[in-house]
Amino acid sequence: MNKHMGKSSATKTQRHKKGRIMIKAYKFWLRGSLTMLLVFSVPVAAWAAPELPADIEWLTNDTDPVYASPEAKKGGTFRDSLLSFPATFRSVGPDSNNSFARVMQSNQLGLIGIHPNTENIIPELATHWAFGKDKKTMYFKLNEKARWSDGKPVTALDFAYTIEFMRSEFIVAPFYNDYYTREIDRIIVYDDYTLAVVGTKAKPDLHLHLNIGPKPRHFFGKLDKGFVRKFNWKIEPNTGPYRISDFKKGKSIKLERKKDWWAKDLRYFKNRFNVDRVIFKVVRDFNLMWEHFKKAQQDVFRITFPDYWHVKSKTAVIENGYVHRIWFFNDTQQPASGMWLNLDREIFKDKNVRYAFAHAMNVQKVIEKVLRNDYFRLEQHYVGYGRYSNNSIKARRFDLTKVDDYMKKSGWKRGSDGIWAKNGMRFSVEVTYGFEGHTPRLVVLKEEAKKAGIELRLQKLDSAASFKKFLEKKHDVAWMGWSTGMRPAFWQHYHSANAHKPQTNNISNTDDAELDKMIDAFRNSLDEAERIDLSLKIQAKIHETGAFVPTFMVPYLRQAYWRWWRLPKIPGTKNSDDLFDPFDPSIGGMFWYDKNLHEETLAAKKKKKKLPPVTIIEETYKMKFLENSKFSTVNS
Amino acid sequence: MKINPLTIKKFRRFKSIKRGYYSFIIFLMMILASLFAEMLVNSRALMVRYDGNYYFPTYGNIIPGTTFDLDYDYETNYRQLAGEFEKESSGNYVLMPPVPFNAYENDLKDDQFPPFPPSIKERHYLGTDAVGRDIVARLVYGFRIAIFFSLALLLANYTIGVSIGSAMGYWGGRFDLFFQRIIEIWSNVPFLYVIIIISSIMVPNFFMLILIMAFFGWIGITWTMRTVTYKEREREYVLAAKALGASNMRIIFKHIIPNTIAIIVTFAPFAVSGGVVALTSLDYLGFGLPPPTPSWGELLQQGWTHLDAWWISGSVIAAMIITLITVTFIGEAVREAFDPKKHTVYE
Repeated sequence: MNKHMGKSSATKTQRHKKGRIMIKAYKFWLRGSLTMLLVFSVPVAAWAAPELPADIEWLTNDTDPVYASPEAKKGGTFRDSLLSFPATFRSVGPDSNNSFARVMQSNQLGLIGIHPNTENIIPELATHWAFGKDKKTMYFKLNEKARWSDGKPVTALDFAYTIEFMRSEFIVAPFYNDYYTREIDRIIVYDDYTLAVVGTKAKPDLHLHLNIGPKPRHFFGKLDKGFVRKFNWKIEPNTGPYRISDFKKGKSIKLERKKDWWAKDLRYFKNRFNVDRVIFKVVRDFNLMWEHFKKAQQDVFRITFPDYWHVKSKTAVIENGYVHRIWFFNDTQQPASGMWLNLDREIFKDKNVRYAFAHAMNVQKVIEKVLRNDYFRLEQHYVGYGRYSNNSIKARRFDLTKVDDYMKKSGWKRGSDGIWAKNGMRFSVEVTYGFEGHTPRLVVLKEEAKKAGIELRLQKLDSAASFKKFLEKKHDVAWMGWSTGMRPAFWQHYHSANAHKPQTNNISNTDDAELDKMIDAFRNSLDEAERIDLSLKIQAKIHETGAFVPTFMVPYLRQAYWRWWRLPKIPGTKNSDDLFDPFDPSIGGMFWYDKNLHEETLAAKKKKKKLPPVTIIEETYKMKFLENSKFSTVNS
Repeated sequence: MKINPLTIKKFRRFKSIKRGYYSFIIFLMMILASLFAEMLVNSRALMVRYDGNYYFPTYGNIIPGTTFDLDYDYETNYRQLAGEFEKESSGNYVLMPPVPFNAYENDLKDDQFPPFPPSIKERHYLGTDAVGRDIVARLVYGFRIAIFFSLALLLANYTIGVSIGSAMGYWGGRFDLFFQRIIEIWSNVPFLYVIIIISSIMVPNFFMLILIMAFFGWIGITWTMRTVTYKEREREYVLAAKALGASNMRIIFKHIIPNTIAIIVTFAPFAVSGGVVALTSLDYLGFGLPPPTPSWGELLQQGWTHLDAWWISGSVIAAMIITLITVTFIGEAVREAFDPKKHTVYE
């Protein structure tokens, strides 16, 4: 299911890179902070006589609910596949941003984690943390039990080394070089297990910016020119639950669970990371993976796509009950997909016309008749941002009477062809999009809009060309989606500083003094309550502007798995994007292997005995307001 | 106008080649029918009788639902209206075309997802495509676009190609050499890529697409025209015209081209089928006319992605085969009719 419509390769690249740290700071975080370790080259002065400020308040978190299942047992081998073998095991430098990187990153813990349900800070390598009064420093006490996979203790010096490492030109990673210079000022080491991370400026949500990971100084030593080549296939010591034990280049990678992992009894890690072994095999074709899965050579398969869920899963292993399916609703940031009206166009300068346009889009009909009721109506730009989301906002529904009212209010009349007209202007706008697969949705919208007296002229461009056109603000209506961040990003999309000029993300050219004021206040505020309050108000204001017509979202994942894999009663978390991720420090490793079920299934298979087919629909975290939106009536 | 007896003879000969002649008649009928497609395949009624008044909605402006005392302002849904009139049986009636769908509307159902298979009851005689549009309607309107596209392209290509080709042959020498090189360079431009590049930055409309394709399409005929003109200009009638003081223009357009018409006409039908295929392939690749223009290429693309919906690919392939075969038969017959060697036998 393509969540981000019409996203060009340009954004993809951007998201890929920045996604690790900034835009998706949060996810990055959830994933275990691979690469974030610092050291000092500049801060030598801080060495001299560092002393902890006396007035800081140490915090920890041993009260949030645990989400792993106490029934979980250790054991078993989990098999998965990769589309391609990674080009390197290095965590930074050329080719390191490959699809296997997530596995490596997940097995490197950060100082702190984020609880996937409460979104509070929880311990990882640090047991305690504290916020400095200057709003740009965080203090950490390390867990003294923390060990690298080679048995060496993790100390504050390893964090200090991260900065030296990340700022080094030898790692050939300009992005990290820049980030660790621009965002992080220095590390202060107080003793082996106490340190401070100092940011370059005071910021809200400091913990999202300063959570770094250690780098093993004893392993890398002094960096030199040969770094990139020398460490291509070296396996870096890590702090997470698994480490690579074996690999065959181009074929497979095997990871082994650390039997006496230092963190295995920590509150939020207990009963997780249960399988003994994880084996990735390279299967270079997606359809072939599906075949492997059906032959039980792979344990889990993602079937979010409608054709897999509705059509392809009508297959023997599922119908005979050997493979179970789960439809899991999560509650995480939704990409903002929809139609962006260009307010610099004469026709859209009138707010009534924008409202009429929104009421003329029969998104519900598209969801029901084209998308098999598989998608949900996106209500506004910022859905799934927790307390930062204004869930009282409802997208404008298809409503011909309202279209009539708004158009007549602005003095438009229906022409002889049924299209609204005023002063020689017809309500005919071009809708530009960049993905062939979206044509079926748009032709239905077009036909329905005709009833409302609005003509949509569809323009399908190559995805890069369409994105270029949007950034140059040459569109009437842009059909596209933006990816998400941890916190709502208002400034780039709605501040007048980014309006009326090319190459900015304010593609609607929204230019509203009042909105500007609120966005500036939001950006400058360091107070969470105030920021949340402003966030809700800004969203209401954006809705009132009517420059964005939200369309669809996919707030769930769907997977098929062999029935000997077991999941907790609540199989995932609010933020899970994969129920069978074996490693992720935040959401991973919650499933376990059941030997009895395995044997039972194999026996049934051998005797061709049918077991009851199982499809689980898990709605614990389903966004509350979805219930109604899916089955609301259409006016057609 | 006096018709040259030779021409009359050629027509007779064309008529005597039955396969080509009947193909020609079928082809003409297809074009004619497509010109009046609005009366055969349309969601608008042919005629509505309502409270003693007669309405003919086929052409012209939309008639809003309120005209028939319905509760909406947008265009009347005549199929629904017909159903209601039937129930009322008050003397009002709606006369619908044989296929009561246009090429754009999505006829969607509850609890079922398109494509829907052919159904006589629903009057989707060839079923619907992946978004519920009637395939007959898409085929008919798609045919009209494709065939007129192809004829217009032919006209454009031949106007440029024939003029330049004859000029090259007539003047020869440096002019000829110069244009030969130009054409050689021109024909090495990868035509398909250029179209793909152009249509990815701007969506070409009907005329724009003809312009782009003619930009590269005129080359083919020039070589032939050049050779023929070389031959013709040495003939006595050209010398005679020159002696009488006719201008070069006049000699080329009034004397040489009419004498080479046989060649041009022979190539034309094949160029027509070439044009249809070219547009279809561009649409298939998604670089042709913008959606939702009815198009065979787009249908073919849908057929490929929905292979289990056999009626999509089945109908469009059948339609293509019929069209291309008739055009090819016509071309074959024309060639034979214009062949000066009377006794050529095609095996």
